Amino acid sequence: MAAPILRGVRELMRLVDFAPVPRRHRHKKKWAATEPKLPASRLALQNFDMTYSVQFGDLWPSIRVSLLSEQKYGALVNNFAAWDHVSAKLKQLSAKDFVSEAVSHWELEAQSGRSSTPPLAYSPNLRCFTFARGDVSRFPPARLGSLGVMDYYLMDAASLLPVLALGLHPGDTVLDLCAAPGGKTLALLQTLCCRNLAANDLSTSRTGRLQKVLQSYVPQDIRERNQVRVTSWDGRKWGELEGDTYDRVLVDVPCTADRHSLYEEENNIFQRSRKKERQMLPMLQMQLLAAGLLATRPGGHVVYSTCSLSHLQNEYVVQGTMELLANQYSIKVQVEDLSYFRELFVDTFCFFQSSQVGELVLPNLTANFGPMYFCRLHRLT
Amino acid sequence: MQPGARALGTLALAAAAVLGREAETDRAPEVRGWRRRYFRRRCLSVMAVLARRVFDLHHQIPLTWVCLAKLTPHLGEQKRTTASLFCKLTIAAGGGGLEELPLVVSKKCVQELESRANTVHCLPEKQRTSVDGGPLTLEKVVCTLLDMGFSDVHINELLSIQPHASPQQLLDIISEFILLGVNPEPVYVALKKSPQLLKMPVVRVKKRSSYLRKLGLGEGKLKRVLHSCPEIFTMHQRDVDGVIHVLKEKCLFTVQQVTEILYRCPNVLQQDPNELEYKFQYAYFRMGIKHLDIVRTEFLKYSLTKIKQRHIYLERLGRYQTPDKKGQTQIANPLLKDIFRVSEAEFLAKTACSSAEEFVVFKKLLAREEEEVPESSMSKEVEGEEEEEDKDEEEL
Ligand SMILES: C[S@@+](CC[C@H](N)C(=O)[O-])C[C@H]1O[C@@H](n2cnc3c(N)ncnc32)[C@H](O)[C@@H]1O
Repeated sequence: MAAPILRGVRELMRLVDFAPVPRRHRHKKKWAATEPKLPASRLALQNFDMTYSVQFGDLWPSIRVSLLSEQKYGALVNNFAAWDHVSAKLKQLSAKDFVSEAVSHWELEAQSGRSSTPPLAYSPNLRCFTFARGDVSRFPPARLGSLGVMDYYLMDAASLLPVLALGLHPGDTVLDLCAAPGGKTLALLQTLCCRNLAANDLSTSRTGRLQKVLQSYVPQDIRERNQVRVTSWDGRKWGELEGDTYDRVLVDVPCTADRHSLYEEENNIFQRSRKKERQMLPMLQMQLLAAGLLATRPGGHVVYSTCSLSHLQNEYVVQGTMELLANQYSIKVQVEDLSYFRELFVDTFCFFQSSQVGELVLPNLTANFGPMYFCRLHRLT
Repeated sequence: MQPGARALGTLALAAAAVLGREAETDRAPEVRGWRRRYFRRRCLSVMAVLARRVFDLHHQIPLTWVCLAKLTPHLGEQKRTTASLFCKLTIAAGGGGLEELPLVVSKKCVQELESRANTVHCLPEKQRTSVDGGPLTLEKVVCTLLDMGFSDVHINELLSIQPHASPQQLLDIISEFILLGVNPEPVYVALKKSPQLLKMPVVRVKKRSSYLRKLGLGEGKLKRVLHSCPEIFTMHQRDVDGVIHVLKEKCLFTVQQVTEILYRCPNVLQQDPNELEYKFQYAYFRMGIKHLDIVRTEFLKYSLTKIKQRHIYLERLGRYQTPDKKGQTQIANPLLKDIFRVSEAEFLAKTACSSAEEFVVFKKLLAREEEEVPESSMSKEVEGEEEEEDKDEEEL
């Protein structure tokens, strides 16, 4: 996990800053006199500057500098490993499990009866360690534990929020519609709530990566008891394949992956050749969300999530899909309030305070997670 | 005109200044060197005579000594007392405060001093120092320094900077600076800041001053350089040359610009030439600042760390853009002075419009980024950038 960070930083320096910035005290014989053709990451930045400065106004510079600087990670404790031992080790690094911290703080408040605290709905058993605000320490790479599985999974801690928001109950049947490379799939399994879990992703190469993650983190017997099913289908068809089936569905759609697009040339959606595809993203996202809702049993829940700041890919997609379902299928869907997440996780994340539909984690240098948009939907009929 | 030793000293210094200016207008360095040697010897002689004279005076009036000793109980205990004592003595002699004592220096006496001063310069070197039957004594040095315009407090301090240096050495070095047109106050500050100056061979100080003149740092300008970078005199010539070479040959500043840089940012002299060159490249290529603005904004005096922190922060915030070939940007960049010549608080409040908490984290992250520029990409750089650019294009 450290390698991608390093590579990311490297790419960032090379691309975002135009010229490579050499080590201090070192001078270059020659600096690039001609500007290379604009790389995709530059195009991404230009695009963001245009759209997000309008969307976020004065907040944009602070988001921008965060996106262009090293992101923070969270260490998701593997409950299939010796989790108490792993937790103790992480505590020694002076990292804290932000989930249990938030929950116990909330419960204290509730007991004191000071605030009108709504009942907490969140997926249980998740332990994710992060370093405090402003602390830029890094976690050492994950290691193979005594039980033959890796001890923790390093991920953007904000990626845990959609899984927490899905509010799993023990015995749930769960679908992860766009699952690869599998960070959230793994988190779903860590709740120990999934009676069975369908993990799907269109890309076979990416489902390969998902399989590897599962192999290194989940013991064989659990995988084999047919609890986890990995498929490579087009998620848009899921409504027809398995309609009205799942208790919980996670729709973590392909998006402009804002942070990623700023430092990785490979697979960058802002490549000129992928312009059409990029423009079609909201459409694809709507289709995937609609399919996810159709696959949900009436009364079940869906979380829609992206790692983009764009409201075209976030609330617009949610609202558009709800209209679509109402008009074409006469299915009623309701957006559920998650604003208590803002208070609950205020110490760890920086939330966008003006979000109307769903919640959005804004990258901030003192808490450089996200972007992560997530919205919880309740299928009523 | 106030009669007495002080006045005579002032006169000598005024003459010195005139002579110095004359010397500067001479083109040929040999002539200038000769003139300056001549002038210096003459001036020192004047001072020496002066000092002797005052010393003689106090020999003639032991009563005064006793009187003053009563007033100053620590007499003779330490240099400090001696200095202040002499100060009083001189003032008494010049100002005529103790008129009942046979201390008042008559006009005639002054004239005699002057005429002797004028002739002494032709005496051979040896004779000059031994007229009084010994090397320059502490008391004489003190008197001379007083005459140069140093306060007795400063003289006390000066004498204690390098207790083991000979008074002659002290006087020689100080005279050299005074002759360069630097006032007593900045000389004092420089010596306090950089005591090793007092250990320098006078010849080297002379050589260095004439070199600095050649670089265009005349009297007025040298004052500032000496003030903020006294090391300019103690540095190895090799190191000075290294910096000048980089500024002229690598950064392609004009001769006048180099002078201006030395004047405005004397600390460039102490910077590692490679780092200085990198800093220039950073300004020119990375930030798009032209030579003239690098000079005018005193860019080179800021540390590379500070420059990068503030520039890259603004750049990532989207508040600074490198101008394109035509010098254009899509946004209006902040003025360079609002980036570098302001406190961090002001920079954050007015230029970056950001919080201190965020900047603190940013600096930590940037430091780590700088550290972690991988070795592999360094070797690539050595091989040449074309390859790197090719690779980037392949990735597209
Ligand atoms: C944001 S990523 C999912 C990340 C994943 N949930 C995780 O947490 O590791 C979006 C994924 O959607 C997949 N995808 C794109 N189009 C799809 C489709 N039509 N059906 C299913 N998956 C699709 C992509 O292959 C990509 O892996």
